[in-house]
Amino acid sequence: MTEPKVRPVDALSPASRAWGEIGPRSDQPRWGMVVDQERCIGCWSCAVICKSENDVPLGMWWNRILTEGDALDQPMVSEGGGLEMHWLPLACQHCENAPCVKVCPVQATYHRSDGIVMQDSDRCIGCRYCMIACPYGVRNFNWGAPVRPTPHETGMVTARPLGTVEKCTMCVQRLADDQIPSCVWSCPTGARIFGDHNDEDGRMATLIREREGTMLLEAAGTRPAVRYLPPRRRSPL
Amino acid sequence: MSAANPVVPSVPAIPAAGEATKHPSRRGLQVAWIVTLLALMAMGIGAFAYQYANGLVVTGMRNVVMWGQYILFFMFFVGLSAGGLIVASAGRLFGVKAFKPITRLAVLEATVAVILAATFILPDLGRPERVLNIPLYFNITSPMIWDIAIVMVYMAMSASYVWLYARADLARRGSWLALGTGTSERTMAREERAKGAMAWIALPAAILLHSITAWIFGLQISRGFWYSSIMAPMFIASALVSGLGLVILLALLLRRLGRLSFRDDLVALLGGLLGMFVVVEAFLILAEYLTALYPGAPEGAAAARMLSGPYLPLFLFEVVVGLGVPFLILAIRPLRRRPAWVALASAIGIVGIFVHRLNLVQNGLSFPNIELPPGLPVGVPQDGSSFAESYFYVPTAIEWMVVIGIIAGGALLFTAAVAYLPMQEPEAH
Repeated sequence: MTEPKVRPVDALSPASRAWGEIGPRSDQPRWGMVVDQERCIGCWSCAVICKSENDVPLGMWWNRILTEGDALDQPMVSEGGGLEMHWLPLACQHCENAPCVKVCPVQATYHRSDGIVMQDSDRCIGCRYCMIACPYGVRNFNWGAPVRPTPHETGMVTARPLGTVEKCTMCVQRLADDQIPSCVWSCPTGARIFGDHNDEDGRMATLIREREGTMLLEAAGTRPAVRYLPPRRRSPL
Repeated sequence: MSAANPVVPSVPAIPAAGEATKHPSRRGLQVAWIVTLLALMAMGIGAFAYQYANGLVVTGMRNVVMWGQYILFFMFFVGLSAGGLIVASAGRLFGVKAFKPITRLAVLEATVAVILAATFILPDLGRPERVLNIPLYFNITSPMIWDIAIVMVYMAMSASYVWLYARADLARRGSWLALGTGTSERTMAREERAKGAMAWIALPAAILLHSITAWIFGLQISRGFWYSSIMAPMFIASALVSGLGLVILLALLLRRLGRLSFRDDLVALLGGLLGMFVVVEAFLILAEYLTALYPGAPEGAAAARMLSGPYLPLFLFEVVVGLGVPFLILAIRPLRRRPAWVALASAIGIVGIFVHRLNLVQNGLSFPNIELPPGLPVGVPQDGSSFAESYFYVPTAIEWMVVIGIIAGGALLFTAAVAYLPMQEPEAH
């Protein structure tokens, strides 16, 4: 399999480098992420930096924040009569049993050995079967020539061409440089924790175990590498 | 009707190929027909070129409903093909001699329809020039690969089936297309055996073809409206309705043009069969909707949506017009015995199956699984929000032009085949 052409992370300031390093890991890491919905404030910082980091064209989002409420800006009335609102940051779940990998007719979407689901833009024929198969709706198609707000490319990745599918890569260009994904370091509340599922004593695995981390649409049997820590607070306003 | 009685042609003589062209007014019509088809094809090619240059953004598809008109027509034509061949080969396999006059037509229709179906895949690809990646890097776990494989096998098989039926006439005419085979008694006996053997392959191949097409959809747990074991049987039932409907229409058309002769009895017989297929389709739809709706669980949301809002008229059309009306026409004996009514029922049935498939694609995709605001990014820059919580797909003029162009190509191929190949199957064995 061809890895995407990436340039090393060299534009980061030393400060963000310092706390963006990947921590301890096992011998054979299976990268993953846990999103603490209790900490998430729905600010969209991770969604915006993702667009910049990965040079995502206008109209597409690899990462977006869904609102668990009554509407986008409307809290719902909880069982106790109080108001409640949570956020569900959603990007590729990097499933172990990935439906997209199964259905791609040309093996353009595939697993790396560290469990990350990749998309080979040079091979993709643009049939969009992977988008059909994905239960999470996190894949984007380049319907037209990619449009960007500036004439400059952003981020450390090559742009994906017209007529191909693209999605979150867990910032493989940063992982290659031992840096955590941009959505993780940019989160102002530290709601995203990146780690290795095989490192059982690691912070991510411990959080998933102790806070009973959940899988999105678990019934679909996709076994995502991204987990969610449901909010515990139920304080009525 | 008794199968032993020889079928008396209702037209006295079948003109040889090309004879009809001697009639001057008909000649003019033929030229006009061919020119129209060529013009429509040119329009389709132009629209495809425009789409290729600008991307699929010129279609009505977006990230939410990412499959549309092209896939819809792909599965519709696979159905037309499979349906026609299932009827023809089952007739041969089980010795239904009454079907004989339309066997050649059905086999030809199946061949042209499957070629069209395969063609519809190309404009759907974002990168059609990479189509060779399919044989180069094929992924055996992809139902799309299974389908492409069976389409290829089926296409070769139905084309050789057409040849087998035309072979003797071609040999008599001295055509090189007979591939050096003659019309000796021994060859004819061998041909008869080969036709019989072919039916054994064609029937399961046609059923497999449309089942695998159904599994492209039905195996996806991500789409609640599709993820059902009834998909393959329902696709077969749909194929039988639309495929037989088209064979009836084409047979009546060719009879009117003097290229084929059979008695009205056959139309009534095929009409009765079509009515039965309509009942099976309606039964499977009932079973599917009842199972989806009864628990009142989220899994049945898509089926429930079909019964309200903008989808209700489409659903009513599918069931009441598309199935109910043809059933009534075909179940009433005096109507069934009149070819014009059977033709009407066939045409409505075909449109009904098309709408059934449209509903399958549209409603299967319009709403994402995680129904939270702001929804899915549509994938193209647009005014206001770049997100959509649901999406109602409407094909654009470009998509229609490509579709009409491809169908015109198929009509041209069919016209050429009918003009060149004898359509009448000789009565004697």
